Amino acid sequence: MDSDTQKSVGYFAIGRIVGAHGIRGEVKVMVMTDYPERFRPGAKAYLGTELACTPTEIETARPHKGVLLVKLSTVPDRNLAETLQGQYLLIRADQAMPLAEHEYYAHDLIGLAVETDTGEALGTLTEILYTGANDVYVVEGPKGEILLPALRSVIIDVNLAARKMTVIVPEGLLGPEED
Amino acid sequence: MSRSLKKGPYVQPKLLKKIEAMNRTGKKQVIKTWSRASTVFPQMVGHTIAVHDGRRHVPIYIAENMVGHKLGEFAPTRFFRGHVRSEKKSSTR
Repeated sequence: MDSDTQKSVGYFAIGRIVGAHGIRGEVKVMVMTDYPERFRPGAKAYLGTELACTPTEIETARPHKGVLLVKLSTVPDRNLAETLQGQYLLIRADQAMPLAEHEYYAHDLIGLAVETDTGEALGTLTEILYTGANDVYVVEGPKGEILLPALRSVIIDVNLAARKMTVIVPEGLLGPEED
Repeated sequence: MSRSLKKGPYVQPKLLKKIEAMNRTGKKQVIKTWSRASTVFPQMVGHTIAVHDGRRHVPIYIAENMVGHKLGEFAPTRFFRGHVRSEKKSSTR
């Protein structure tokens, strides 16, 4: 294992290897980044897990049935490609793309304490659902599971330093179920 | 076979009735529905509809470019849950 990989800079996953493809060492990668340019030929990445990974380089990448078929410089044949199932392609945390206003990395939001603008605690943000429309934040707390739409009219403040999110619960969201 | 054009797009009458009532009064409230097969109508734009995903109601804000799609398209029934920190972002809109 490369000693450089043991630094505590932290890594972000950009894809998860879900299998091998063909006999030339291509791997099937489920994409976990919002930036597809991470898979351009010649891009540097790390192969392994957050705790132990080795440097590699993307040689080719092409879409196929909802995944990417990626050829890595350090994976010459299928035998090695098969052993990589379940491992991740990573980048160093300091290489992450800068975020615009009102954008947050999902792992930064998970675990935030959520409260209303009146100070009532709703619980902790445990999950983010990507729906194709707005994102949805799942909050678990004393009132059970609450799903909040990620809209600026609902999420009025995110304070990552204080690990706190302030929200306005829209009318009808917590009401009785009816059809 | 696709739906007959004569009938027009499907929407649950009760859901459309609630939306039109809110449009008349100018009120905004989250509406919970089980009707995933309902088509997004222009009257729904700007409202938040909580669509059932089989377990819970997922609140979806209806934007203009969603008109013509079905509500169920925006409330996936299966979600991938990763365990590592990924370069996946979330934004408020």
